[in-house]
Amino acid sequence: MSIDQVNPAPAGDDARRQPRIDVDRHSTVWRTEFRTLSDDLPANAPIAWNETYGGYWMVTGNKEVFDIVRRADVLSNDNDIHFERNGYDGIQIPPPPREQRVVRGGILEMDPPEQRYYRNVMNPYLSPAAVARWQPVMDELVRACLDDHIESGRIDFVDDLANIVPAVLTMAMLGLPLEDWVVYCEPSHATVYTHPDSPEIVRVRELQNQMGMRAMQSIAQLRTDPRPGLIDGLIKADISGHSPDDMEVLSQVTLLIGGGFDTTTALTAHALEWLSENPDQRERLVREWEELRDSATEEFLRYYTPAPGDGRTFSADVEIDGKQFKEGERLWVGWATSNRDPGLFEDPHEIKLDRKGNRHSSFGLGIHRCIGSNVARATFKTMLKGALDRMPDFVCDPAGAVHYDTTGTINGMKHLPATFTPGKRLGPGVTETVAGLQRIVDEQRLAEPVTARKQARLTD
Amino acid sequence: MKVSVDSNVCQGHTLCAMTAPDLFVLSDEDGHASAVGGDVPPNREAAAREAARTCPEQAVVLS
Ligand code: SF4
Repeated sequence: MSIDQVNPAPAGDDARRQPRIDVDRHSTVWRTEFRTLSDDLPANAPIAWNETYGGYWMVTGNKEVFDIVRRADVLSNDNDIHFERNGYDGIQIPPPPREQRVVRGGILEMDPPEQRYYRNVMNPYLSPAAVARWQPVMDELVRACLDDHIESGRIDFVDDLANIVPAVLTMAMLGLPLEDWVVYCEPSHATVYTHPDSPEIVRVRELQNQMGMRAMQSIAQLRTDPRPGLIDGLIKADISGHSPDDMEVLSQVTLLIGGGFDTTTALTAHALEWLSENPDQRERLVREWEELRDSATEEFLRYYTPAPGDGRTFSADVEIDGKQFKEGERLWVGWATSNRDPGLFEDPHEIKLDRKGNRHSSFGLGIHRCIGSNVARATFKTMLKGALDRMPDFVCDPAGAVHYDTTGTINGMKHLPATFTPGKRLGPGVTETVAGLQRIVDEQRLAEPVTARKQARLTD
Repeated sequence: MKVSVDSNVCQGHTLCAMTAPDLFVLSDEDGHASAVGGDVPPNREAAAREAARTCPEQAVVLS
């Protein structure tokens, strides 16, 4: 071997793409070793080149996440499925194969100004004031879920509560038939917890397609027979002189269902599991609910960050925090690691129900802040309070609890069985309640935007 | 002390209003915040600082 063949100093892209790491976010390690990784990566490699999945920048440090993700001027969320613009791949790393991409993921896979036009259409359905009107519906749904199991002393907090309430509520807000939550529920969760390389993914994508077909039928129906809701708002929207076609409406609906179902479920399951393991903290939360409700919610959001991160694509060459990025390179922004930064959060690996200054980024940062954040908070609080009030001595069964194998997309749970002292039923179960709520939603036009109707009027 | 919200930076996380509901109002339409205006009462200065510290976008400006 001649001397000039030995270890040439890395040049070009190799020199720039440093330090190098090899972390498969879709493996179980990302969940089981998360604590070590979230200590190690932000401290030693806050911006690193991750060699998995074709190579991409992975940003894990709090400061770096903050500095980079708010640069919407050099970042793109676009999922250009038909190669009409720059051919970018959206927010998933790895992205689904192109032939599988029917629509992009709504505003989360769009850039301004288009993203802003759509967001303005949807905000009045999802703002804090808009969401507050749904509180009586959430209360009823939680009551019904708990009533289906209260007499037996056994419940699965995922299957019987946390999967149902966000799903039915999302249907209602969209203006879809409430009972259709069943059609969307399984595929929405399975899409998230199935590893992209698993053979199961084929079946899951098939289920997803069926779900898409159902949504398309409903959108067509809502065009001829309008009912209030987010879909109605989208159908009638003026997106700078253009009104969205069915596929464009479907793209937003896909995002709202994907975002609305699995994330709140994940947060609720984790919080209930933790409260079962920490009975003294549970007692405290019950005792001081009024004072702790908000801070505890934000703390569970921080600690269990339902969406651990999101992908982007650099849309221009740029230097940020001393690193040179090139147009077209992929980037993954780590909300979950950022939320464990000891510089910002004292004892970051501890859950403190009364934590102050909880500047977490669980809903993202910048222009793509989760549009459903207000719904998520309200639904979570309602489910948690319901379980604490009516099943105060619940104990989760660790042997039956099933965490997602892969937390690359959502840090969630498939099952969380629990037992408790049986109690008394207060009313009808889920099926009857959903039918009753459908009548009320229709008669009172509950799904109108807040600009049309401010008050909640849940009276029968 | 005065408190204001930089509307170019605020993304409607609502944590400011959660921290100090008397100092911020949220828009009905999109949940973005603005300050109620005027001087912050001396006994609420700590709450204003807390809200500024908590804002994920660092959009709350104290002066
Ligand atoms: S916390 Fe910050 S981003 Fe959120 S509403 Fe208040 S000022 Fe806006």
